[in-house]
Amino acid sequence: MVRHIAGQLAQAVLLLIAVVIIIYCLLQLIPGDPIQAMVGDVPVPAALRAALEKRFQLDQPFLTRLIGYLGNILHGDLGYSMTYRRPVLDILAERFPRTLLLAGIGYGFGITIGIAIGIHSAVTKHRGVDQAWSSLVLIGYAMPTFWVGQLLVMAFSIQLGWLPTQGMGPMISRAQGLDWILERATYLVLPVLTYTILETTRVARFMRASVSETLEQGYIVTARQKGLSRREIIMGHVVRNSILPVITVMGYSFGTAMGGAVLLETVFSYPGVGSLMVESVRQRDTQVIVGVVILVACSVVVMNVVVDLLYAWLDPRIRIASARR
Amino acid sequence: MIKFDRLKPVLLAAGLAMLGLGATSAAYAQATPKRGGTAVVGVSVAGATLNTQLTSNVTPLIIADLWASGLYKYDKTGAKKPQIASSWDISADGKTYTFHLRPNLKWSDGHAFSSEDVAFTLNAFAKYNTYLVKIVPNVDRTETPDANTFVVHLKEPQSSALEGFDKEVFPLMPKHIYDGTDIPTNPANRAPVGLGPYKFVKWEEGRGITFERNPNYWDQPKPYLDSVVAVFIPNVQQQQNALYRGEIDVLRPALPQIGRTIEQGKLKNAFETREVKVNAAERLSLDVNTTRDIFNKPLVRQALLVAIDRERISKDVYQGLAFPAMNAIPEQFTQLTDPSVDYNKQFAYDPVKAGKMLDEAGYPLKDGKRFTMDFTSATNADAFYAEPAAQIISANWRAIGIDVKLSLLEGQLWSDKVFKNHNYDVSMSSLTARTDPVFGVDRSFLCNPSTVPFVNPTGYCNKELDEIAAKAGSVPTAERKGWYKKYEEIVARDMPHLTLTNAKKFFSISTRFGGIDEELDLAFNGNPDMAQVWVK
Repeated sequence: MVRHIAGQLAQAVLLLIAVVIIIYCLLQLIPGDPIQAMVGDVPVPAALRAALEKRFQLDQPFLTRLIGYLGNILHGDLGYSMTYRRPVLDILAERFPRTLLLAGIGYGFGITIGIAIGIHSAVTKHRGVDQAWSSLVLIGYAMPTFWVGQLLVMAFSIQLGWLPTQGMGPMISRAQGLDWILERATYLVLPVLTYTILETTRVARFMRASVSETLEQGYIVTARQKGLSRREIIMGHVVRNSILPVITVMGYSFGTAMGGAVLLETVFSYPGVGSLMVESVRQRDTQVIVGVVILVACSVVVMNVVVDLLYAWLDPRIRIASARR
Repeated sequence: MIKFDRLKPVLLAAGLAMLGLGATSAAYAQATPKRGGTAVVGVSVAGATLNTQLTSNVTPLIIADLWASGLYKYDKTGAKKPQIASSWDISADGKTYTFHLRPNLKWSDGHAFSSEDVAFTLNAFAKYNTYLVKIVPNVDRTETPDANTFVVHLKEPQSSALEGFDKEVFPLMPKHIYDGTDIPTNPANRAPVGLGPYKFVKWEEGRGITFERNPNYWDQPKPYLDSVVAVFIPNVQQQQNALYRGEIDVLRPALPQIGRTIEQGKLKNAFETREVKVNAAERLSLDVNTTRDIFNKPLVRQALLVAIDRERISKDVYQGLAFPAMNAIPEQFTQLTDPSVDYNKQFAYDPVKAGKMLDEAGYPLKDGKRFTMDFTSATNADAFYAEPAAQIISANWRAIGIDVKLSLLEGQLWSDKVFKNHNYDVSMSSLTARTDPVFGVDRSFLCNPSTVPFVNPTGYCNKELDEIAAKAGSVPTAERKGWYKKYEEIVARDMPHLTLTNAKKFFSISTRFGGIDEELDLAFNGNPDMAQVWVK
């Protein structure tokens, strides 16, 4: 198992280097001018352009900049932001935990609720209930994230006035301790709810299909004939076997989930990695964009390792096969 | 004995007088500013710098009202009002400007302010400032005879030069912070020290910027608020939502949202939305690539204008909050524009006439088509007008047989296509005229051999117009209008850049504030002056 994970990590490092080079080259090819973005929709004075280009080494040949950047990365330096005038690593260290908090809670709720709906939908004896769940899940899946977000804001913030519309908390707050946590939590409710709806629908569909397939397996028939109760069959055999493919899909779709966070953060003006990415693309802040890509790629790699471990824990066949190798 | 009936009118009058007195007292009490409270201003993201000597992005311009001051500003009638300069004189020959500065002022960090700072701002920042670069070549020298006097000697008279010293174009910069440093990357550009009513406290990236009362502000007892927070809300819809829910107090709403914003404000009675009467014009315009066949003919360019239904753009795209522009010089410059050149009469919407003009230019209809056109515009998040306006214009042109190929591009892609590569036939943008034609209008018409973005990309170069523009910017104010009339006439004749509509501006502010009637800061961004705002 350890060898397998080490091999995966080695592959990931090579992939990461390739991704960095490709993204850096692509950003060079995209038309755009970070200096113009800094100055606005007006002519940039020649002296200002020259000074900024020199400071941010934009006057250097592309290859020199790329090699320098790769060298810096190997030393753990992700570069310097032209927009924020800070090291990229510092910015990511500030923003990533916020995204992780939002995506983590949404992901957690989404998986739990999605699995529950998927199981119930597949094992229910009432066709109507299954159809209702399937329809609801399909509707939820078809709704664009930004639209769901706006709808929730209109209902819970504008009409009912219960929750804040955007942001991650008031800029000036006297709240402390538990009050501070509760104050911050109110700002998380709507983005998390939107995220949860998105993830729930995704997981529920997979889970339902997986459970339906498991129910037709021979060992389930055997379990029934052995006289096991319905509850024992579902919890002891169906769920454990059905959850494997779902975990695989969720692990590999973590990148997509991060993409969902980008959209969500924009809708809710939430200052995480997603809104950082959007703003950096607008400002053509290359090193921040590449930094975010590296961060997302790393988190996908970590997630895949977690999936492998979970897989081994849930399925003894994989554990044994890994031990024999 | 006096009958009560006879006394009735007297008593009634006395009663009304008392009521009136009471009302006046109440109004007076209500109008007395008091200190305390916080205002939250909703803005988009701030970008790389807050220093408006180095950027013209909207958010830094709004925020600069909080921390920076200039020699003078504009009042609500558009007249110049002293700020750091208590007065100024212009010599009889128009070449020497003497600014008399208020004595004993301090920067927000407590350091003493003097005329040296003003001279430093001009000498050190001018080459980095988009607008000052137009004045600097004409500056002979600056002098600081004493701590409270700043003198600028020009090589040639330039009446428009004074416009370059307003707080919007020329926010004053502290010499003790910037001297001897790399100005464009000085950390103070993101943590400014200024002479404005509020003092920079902290910038929380992605969230907002906090300012608190500047105890050294020159116009005491202002400011009245303890603090002002600028909150970053990049999404236009979310800005509106935050205003509706009372999370922000001040917002410049996007024009398509105005109707709903006014309605919501009345419904909730929590904020009001007002039109800013005097402002720098924001005009929807078309650049025509005069270096290309077909479009190198003035008659074709005029026909393009005649074919456009500008009333419909004003009504549908701007929801009635814009009007068809009169000529090259914006209507807001009441002292400079000459209404004798009026596009609404000369080039009124008439598709049949436009067709005839194109026939005359040598482009008659052949199989229902005259020629093909590459029409482009940027579609940034804040460019709400781009797509609907481009669609209306395209439909208007298609109706007279022009085969329009429309491309709506991301801002930077569009900028490259139009300004760098000149790979277009007609390009649409919305441009601000700033505080004087020299700063915001000339850039669309004067000769420009460079590929610098947002400067005349049409290839049109008319030395006569350049000379007239130079004259119009330099002759005594009373004579400027005459020169701008010539300017307007040449542009109407050659039409390299078609000015379509002139949009109004609005701002929304919470009803919990007083002081917003006294004065608006109208130099450019049309936001209420937060130095004068107080919590009721």
